[in-house]
Amino acid sequence: MSFVTGKSIPRRTFLRGVGVAAVGLPFLDAMTPAFAAAPKAPVRLAFMYVPNGIDMKNWNIEQEGAFGAFPRVMKPLEAFRDDMIQIGNLTHNSGRALLDGAGDHGRCAGSYLTGIQVRKTTIDIKASVSCDQLIANQIGNQTRFASLELGMDDSRQAGDCDSGYSCAYTNNLAWKSETQPLPPILDPRALFERLFGTGVVLSPEQTVRQARYRRSILDFVTADTHKLQTSLGPTDKRKLEEYLSSIREVERQLEKAERENVAIDPGMTKPYGVPPDFSEHFKLMSDMLAIAFQADLTRVATFLMTREGTSRSYREIGISDGHHPCTHHQGKPDLMEKVTQINEYHTKQLAGFIGNLKSMKEGDSNVLDNSMIVYGAGLSDGNRHLHEDLPTLLIGRGGNYFKPGRRIIYRKETPMCNFQLSLMDRMGVHVENFGDASGPLDPTSLT
Amino acid sequence: MQAGRGPAAKPPIGIAFEGDLGNRIDALLAVAMLNGFTGKGEARKIALSISRPSLKAAQLADVALAFYGGRAIAGPGGGVGGSPDGMVGVPEGASFSTDNPPLAAILTKKTAEGAPQYSTGISRVLDTADNAVLIRNQLLAQNDGNASIVVAGPATGMARLLGLYGARPQIATKVSQLVVAMGAFPSGEPDSAIKSDIASARTLFAEWPTPLVAVGAEVGAVLPFPGASIETDFGWSQAHPIVDAYRGFKPMPYDAPATALAALLQAVHPNDGYFKLSEPGTISVLDDGRTQFTAAAGGKHRYLIVDPAQKDRVIKLYKDMVAAPPAPRPGRGGRGNPAAAAAAAAAQQQQQQQQQQQPPPAQAPKPADPKPPTP
Repeated sequence: MSFVTGKSIPRRTFLRGVGVAAVGLPFLDAMTPAFAAAPKAPVRLAFMYVPNGIDMKNWNIEQEGAFGAFPRVMKPLEAFRDDMIQIGNLTHNSGRALLDGAGDHGRCAGSYLTGIQVRKTTIDIKASVSCDQLIANQIGNQTRFASLELGMDDSRQAGDCDSGYSCAYTNNLAWKSETQPLPPILDPRALFERLFGTGVVLSPEQTVRQARYRRSILDFVTADTHKLQTSLGPTDKRKLEEYLSSIREVERQLEKAERENVAIDPGMTKPYGVPPDFSEHFKLMSDMLAIAFQADLTRVATFLMTREGTSRSYREIGISDGHHPCTHHQGKPDLMEKVTQINEYHTKQLAGFIGNLKSMKEGDSNVLDNSMIVYGAGLSDGNRHLHEDLPTLLIGRGGNYFKPGRRIIYRKETPMCNFQLSLMDRMGVHVENFGDASGPLDPTSLT
Repeated sequence: MQAGRGPAAKPPIGIAFEGDLGNRIDALLAVAMLNGFTGKGEARKIALSISRPSLKAAQLADVALAFYGGRAIAGPGGGVGGSPDGMVGVPEGASFSTDNPPLAAILTKKTAEGAPQYSTGISRVLDTADNAVLIRNQLLAQNDGNASIVVAGPATGMARLLGLYGARPQIATKVSQLVVAMGAFPSGEPDSAIKSDIASARTLFAEWPTPLVAVGAEVGAVLPFPGASIETDFGWSQAHPIVDAYRGFKPMPYDAPATALAALLQAVHPNDGYFKLSEPGTISVLDDGRTQFTAAAGGKHRYLIVDPAQKDRVIKLYKDMVAAPPAPRPGRGGRGNPAAAAAAAAAQQQQQQQQQQQPPPAQAPKPADPKPPTP
């Protein structure tokens, strides 16, 4: 409600300034017309993908129904046990060989959101429109960005990344068309510029030069900010301050990462703003995703935490072996332990993101409550390359729709595409068929 | 669908078998016969499913799977990812509450020590797969035209399979024929399996995209499974679920009408002269559950006709294949499967007994020294 004029502020208000495109705003009370019922917050959807399967013994919560004790990999998410559903027995049959031989990593990533068996090739790639893009195509015009694609690893789009499968399959989740993947943004600076910048793409050198003289993006919108603040009540003022502070914090993190990158290795091939530390990188990317959701800049996102099949090491936690080789542990306890630690490390990062979303107030609830964060992998047992019982977490209530705090097990071979049909449905996108779906999940099982 | 793939040799035909395992002894015998064909390298079981929503029947199927070594076993890791070979498909709506098929009585059998004779990994519907999805998924892993589906029970699952998005062209590509053990030809009594879901049977006959062979009740009656085989051919196993089910189904001795066995044999050996086929035509389903065949050039349906000259050959094959011990898993030598181990031990014992009864062989003449190689 507007305290000064009695008029409400449009939901899609931006703070504008010279040299920057626009800074979106979170949902404010003043966006509700006087005496009107509060508008329904939008529902957001993000797919967070981790590669090489998950240690299922330390992932699956034992019994169906209300959560019991959390196993080790889930433990970092303990604080959010009432905000999530762990789903069992979802299968991606199209990730299996189906006569195409080796290449489970290439296939499982390619099929994860497309639901089809991708063509085994390094040249004439072929997948299908991914479910996030089906959503973006229908509701993307309601936000500044139809969708966001984030990543943190290799972004090669060509070459052989798994037994004859193009890197386009392992390094992308989102597919605009059968032949056009949407490469994720890896560089936090690039993501920042996309969200708040002018849209002008700068070379790395220009970016460095500009960074030296950079002022906060908030400096450019000071006039608009002051103008807005005068029309806000105390609650909205505080909310706006918190929001702008979170943007400023991202900027500080970015500047720190950029300073450290220059100091460490000016000739590095990594994108300019990518912090060397996994958790710092993740925090930057996920903080910006959270802001994008909070400010309704987009409602659908994919986040490839690391590419499928990655052999990235995790020296941050003392693991110098590659992730992928560790997952082929063949039952050796030391390697199995490393896999568990990597999986735990990932869920620790995820917990930070979830906590961030939950702290973002939105009307009577928060951004997490109005979101569906799907965390999972395209393989369950990475050692055996299994495509059934895929590890899947649905975090958030999707707009007070889902009933969280429990484990749901579906029948064996239940297509992952059934779940994705249900998610699309919740996003207001009604698709009759998708991938190998046999129908959406029974809504009563989730609500 | 397979462009660009190498000219690898086709494996034996893949059989997806769906039957009323809780109620039809011939369906259960067919599971045993499929194991026999698998052991001889003449077929592969690609899916096993129940045609009625019965969890007890699913447990029975799971017991049979375990007995014949078909449950999934964890591999060492790496390589190409696994397939759902060890799962049991069941139609929607299965529960234990109204579920009491007679053949599942063996699930309560106890050992002398009072432990369950047969264990199952299925305790709830979540331990099973949707039969239509399971079959569809497994068909996609077959070479084009190298799969057949055999149905010995209501057509519910097949109608649902036809309704899965995109399944019809997949079926048309992968399946060489559907063989259904239902109906009576050229005319006969109403079929209880058809009557239980007439709509699905009609959908099946009207819309199935591949050649379809129907095996009527008359075939099963003329070519029954000989009950005497149960007493004489299964001595290699102390506890055999099929034998126990057969004995418990009706007072012994009896010969079981074996329509499902004929259907499976036709699916595995369609061109080996075991049966004759009708002219092509169309099968339709009447309101009372009877089938009606109308000859028509270009029709996709045929029905099976008993060839009296082949009767003994067929019955012998039934006996041999149904009584076959578990087929060893490729590369595993039956390891981990007690039934396979018992069968191997029994065979070894029999061989030793035969050797003891025979006189020692005469000293074989020493072979001549080979000629030195020519420089």
